[in-house]
Amino acid sequence: MYKLISVLFLGLILIAGCAKQDKNVIKVALAGPLTGDIAAMGQGMKKAIEIAVEEANQSGVLKDKKFQAVIFDDRADPKEAVSVANQIVSDPQIYGIVGHLNSGCSIPASQIYAKYNLVIITPASTNPKLTQQGLKNVFRVCTTDDVQGSAAANYVIDKLKIKNVSIIHDKTPYGQGIAENFKATFENRKDKVLSYDGINTGDKDFKALLTKIKTFKPQLIYFGGVYSEYGLLSKQAKELGLNAVFFSDDGSSSPEYIKIAGSASEGNYVSMIGIPPAKLKKAKAFLDTFASKYPGTDLQPYDTYTYETSKILIDAIVKTNMDKSKIADYLATVKFDGILGITSFDANGDTLNKSISIYKAKNGKFEYCE
Amino acid sequence: MFIQQLINGLTLGSIYALIALGYTMVYGVLLMINFAHSEIFMIGAYIGLWALTAIPAFASFTITGFIITFLVVLLFSGLLAVSVEKLAYKPLRQAPRLSPLISAIGVSIVLQNLIMLFVSNQSMPLPEFKTTRYQIFSAEVDTLQIFIFCFSIALMLLLNLFISKTKFGKAMRATAHSHSVSQLMGINSSSMIAMVFFIGGALGGIAGMLNGMYYGSIKYNMGFFPGIKAFTAAVLGGIGNVKGAMLGGFLLGLIETFSAGYISSQNKDVITFCVLILMLVFKPTGILGENVTEKV
Repeated sequence: MYKLISVLFLGLILIAGCAKQDKNVIKVALAGPLTGDIAAMGQGMKKAIEIAVEEANQSGVLKDKKFQAVIFDDRADPKEAVSVANQIVSDPQIYGIVGHLNSGCSIPASQIYAKYNLVIITPASTNPKLTQQGLKNVFRVCTTDDVQGSAAANYVIDKLKIKNVSIIHDKTPYGQGIAENFKATFENRKDKVLSYDGINTGDKDFKALLTKIKTFKPQLIYFGGVYSEYGLLSKQAKELGLNAVFFSDDGSSSPEYIKIAGSASEGNYVSMIGIPPAKLKKAKAFLDTFASKYPGTDLQPYDTYTYETSKILIDAIVKTNMDKSKIADYLATVKFDGILGITSFDANGDTLNKSISIYKAKNGKFEYCE
Repeated sequence: MFIQQLINGLTLGSIYALIALGYTMVYGVLLMINFAHSEIFMIGAYIGLWALTAIPAFASFTITGFIITFLVVLLFSGLLAVSVEKLAYKPLRQAPRLSPLISAIGVSIVLQNLIMLFVSNQSMPLPEFKTTRYQIFSAEVDTLQIFIFCFSIALMLLLNLFISKTKFGKAMRATAHSHSVSQLMGINSSSMIAMVFFIGGALGGIAGMLNGMYYGSIKYNMGFFPGIKAFTAAVLGGIGNVKGAMLGGFLLGLIETFSAGYISSQNKDVITFCVLILMLVFKPTGILGENVTEKV
């Protein structure tokens, strides 16, 4: 009896294995953090690529073949990202990668994809170094940290009329990169940076650092990092009676921030790459699909970008007639008219469509400022 | 600033001390490091959130609601720790010392993933507590901090009394000293071990609840860092020694806070663990480690 069951089971595995090798499937991979501290953003990316793939299949661009999204979890961990990248390159049916989210993950992973001539387009990694590695297979649809950090600094100086700031970063390539850029721009314009400190991601208690910062009496605290620490910092600052305004980057601009910081989030700012989805005329169809498919789910910051990135990749696969070796060359000259406007890439693979918007937390929501 | 840092450090330290007690008591009795303890801490916070939100009468934050919530947390996390012991450690009592350790790591992964899959993989906010802030020499302290500190101290004093003055405490100490001899004296060492797990788990669960209240949100992986730190605190104070764990907890909280506040916040863990290494080099048993006769 047990033998029979195990034979049947083996058979099932074989059948499942065969199904995977279906030649009529063109796979596009999504790699991002589906579990871990910033899983909310990764889960949003997964939903976005699935919508894009479904639409492509419905339109029937590939005639007898079908696209399939395959999802990989890098847990926002560079080590995990490398092992995910090795898994991806070992599957010959994968034609390109959308991801990763974290710059710290994208940079090492992109080197592996380069060895196998697989194209990676990131919707979210904003560290400038990613596209400065001299790799031909790396593209980026989002605006980089150097643009974002200085845009934030200019906004703080010009619009908020702030003269002195303290800066905190989370020691990751992303958070520290953006904080350094903010610092450079702020100091260039002859304003004062009172302190510059790093914190550990995953820590919960920042009161010691905030107590020290309180003695400098900054008007504003800039944080380079992601929402989990940004939320705790804002909350603990209020508890210590530190009344500075907080300002952070796109990694912090998730509704999760407001959940963690609670009422302490009121009046704090974040910057976000691109123009808000609600202001994009062409994004309406996507937003409607998203809302009807996932009712009650908040749109996460990279969802529209992931959708656009998936569309660009799918378009490139179709236009090159499914020839992996031509996709990178095709993308280098592409002019893609999508929901973010016209996307084309410079020599490094960075998008030429760079824009930043600023949001302020008000009544438990992020409100668009400029 | 000094007083403010002192307050920050003591609040942090009292949570570390409460968790460290669970590590040290189990080590005292079984000579085993219970890595699943940080997950009991995490689940304690979830039980607390559940009690606060699921039972409408508690949500109003009345004193009785609060007391009942804490009793619920205490009971359930204690029972959880006992069942972990019965399921994962007891069958391995005669096995080599490495086996229960690995079993503990397994339990920790299972518990964390259970919460992640069946409760939420996102942070869950606790209801915001209305606190009053006081100013002491330009330092801010709120009622929650005072409550956490006093409550932890009270629990530790109670535990100390229990271990040194009651019959059960005496039996526990005897079991820690030698399982076989205490059994010959008519002590049921198996139930003593269960009791140790219950007390350790209950304190860990309460620490989780306090941690959640203090930081405002809880998450399935919240146990990892405090768990490692509390384990460090237990080693610093002398693992196996109850007073050592309390001392170690407060000491670690203060070292961490002061090194972040006065030296460098990005290197505070480096500094903390350097202190630990120095401690182990010059006094391998920890601060109060030599006190062998009173292990539990």
